[in-house]
Amino acid sequence: MSGVAGRVALGVLLAVTLQLVIGSHLTIAGVVPDLLLVATVTVALASGSSAGAVAGFAAGVLADLIGSGPFGASMLVMTVVGYLAGSLQASLFAEGWLAPVTVVLTASLLKEASYGLLLGVLGVGGPFWRTLSRVVLPTAAYTTIVAVIVYPWVSRLLRRERSVATLGRL
Amino acid sequence: MRLADTDTRKGSPALLAVLVVVSLVVTTVYFREGPRGPLRRARTMALAVSRPLLAVGDGVTAPFRAVRGFFAGMGASRSEIETLRRQNAELRTRLASLEEARQENDRLRALVNFAEAKKFASLGARVIGRPTDPWIGVVTIDRGTADGIRSGMPVLAAQGLVGQVLDVSRHIARVRLITDQESGVAVLVQSTRAVGVVRGSIDRRLSLDFVDASTLPTVGDVVVTSGLGGVYPKGIVVGDVTDVERQRGDLYPTVGVRSRVPIDLIEEVLVLIGPSVSTGGGGE
Repeated sequence: MSGVAGRVALGVLLAVTLQLVIGSHLTIAGVVPDLLLVATVTVALASGSSAGAVAGFAAGVLADLIGSGPFGASMLVMTVVGYLAGSLQASLFAEGWLAPVTVVLTASLLKEASYGLLLGVLGVGGPFWRTLSRVVLPTAAYTTIVAVIVYPWVSRLLRRERSVATLGRL
Repeated sequence: MRLADTDTRKGSPALLAVLVVVSLVVTTVYFREGPRGPLRRARTMALAVSRPLLAVGDGVTAPFRAVRGFFAGMGASRSEIETLRRQNAELRTRLASLEEARQENDRLRALVNFAEAKKFASLGARVIGRPTDPWIGVVTIDRGTADGIRSGMPVLAAQGLVGQVLDVSRHIARVRLITDQESGVAVLVQSTRAVGVVRGSIDRRLSLDFVDASTLPTVGDVVVTSGLGGVYPKGIVVGDVTDVERQRGDLYPTVGVRSRVPIDLIEEVLVLIGPSVSTGGGGE
């Protein structure tokens, strides 16, 4: 197994375990942080577009397995989001935490909005404004707050060649 | 699939296209397969595999939930306590008169040999898993087929209806909450006997749909299962009417309902494992 494939497997398995053990208990007003997305973006920023796409695909498979929505919807959305996040890898100063966390916020907004849109297309979506205000925006905000805390540590685990500044060290 | 560092950094549109196509194929298969299709069976297997992780999460977070519950309980103000005392007194009075009516009802039933509604056997279960994403209203319980749980069985809490068993593995099951946007329960308004359907939504609010405008409910009316449809037995409390709005030209009024069950805090439930078809039994 190559280093990148190992990172993908490690990041995604760690994320799904944390999502099941702790993530589902961190619910605030029905909103749950998306730890699988944080892992996908971290892998994408560490290893590039293709690794991001594969990480997103693997994370999507697991999200669909533990969820109860239409199977394949998370796979599709997470694959695209992982690929796009990875395309920023070359142009992003990823040693800091602010830029990656901004990418998590953007990726989360994109992922939740796309997923909601896809559910609408598949006939199981909700009204647009209620979906946006009650799910998309709160989930993106909550995931970003969690990413601020966990990104430096997850990133250190997955990117051995470069160190990442934590909040405490800045 | 072997991923070389140089390839992955550069990005491969072909790889993205392949993964997107695979995702679309999987989605298509999911909508076309039956209830025992491979993807649904994979989900059931994943449910069984996730049980130890959910049990660990439940154990780890139990003290934090207890602290949260303690502080939530401290929020009751003096006026709320006074209101509850008043309601308690009123309810005790009503209970006495209802007991009188119940006994009279029993006597009349015996006189006309009217069939008693079936009693339902129930099984207690602990909630060990909560929704893993905000799009679904599903909780996981620690009972499965080994305990007699089957897909479709109604799930209750002390305060009223919780939902319906969705997927079952040997020792674990997933319950779709009534607040889930794909949930629908056939109900009737207790005071007016108007029938309708209580639906969940993306923001976990309940609405009462398809109520005839001529039998408009009022705020505070109790909504119970109607027994129509064959899933939920008749007479289980679903919630209380919180708001009623009727615009000119609307075919049906907009009616909001609030469940009495604290869905986010629920720790134990009862699964009705008896037959759900009775003399007046059923649900949607």
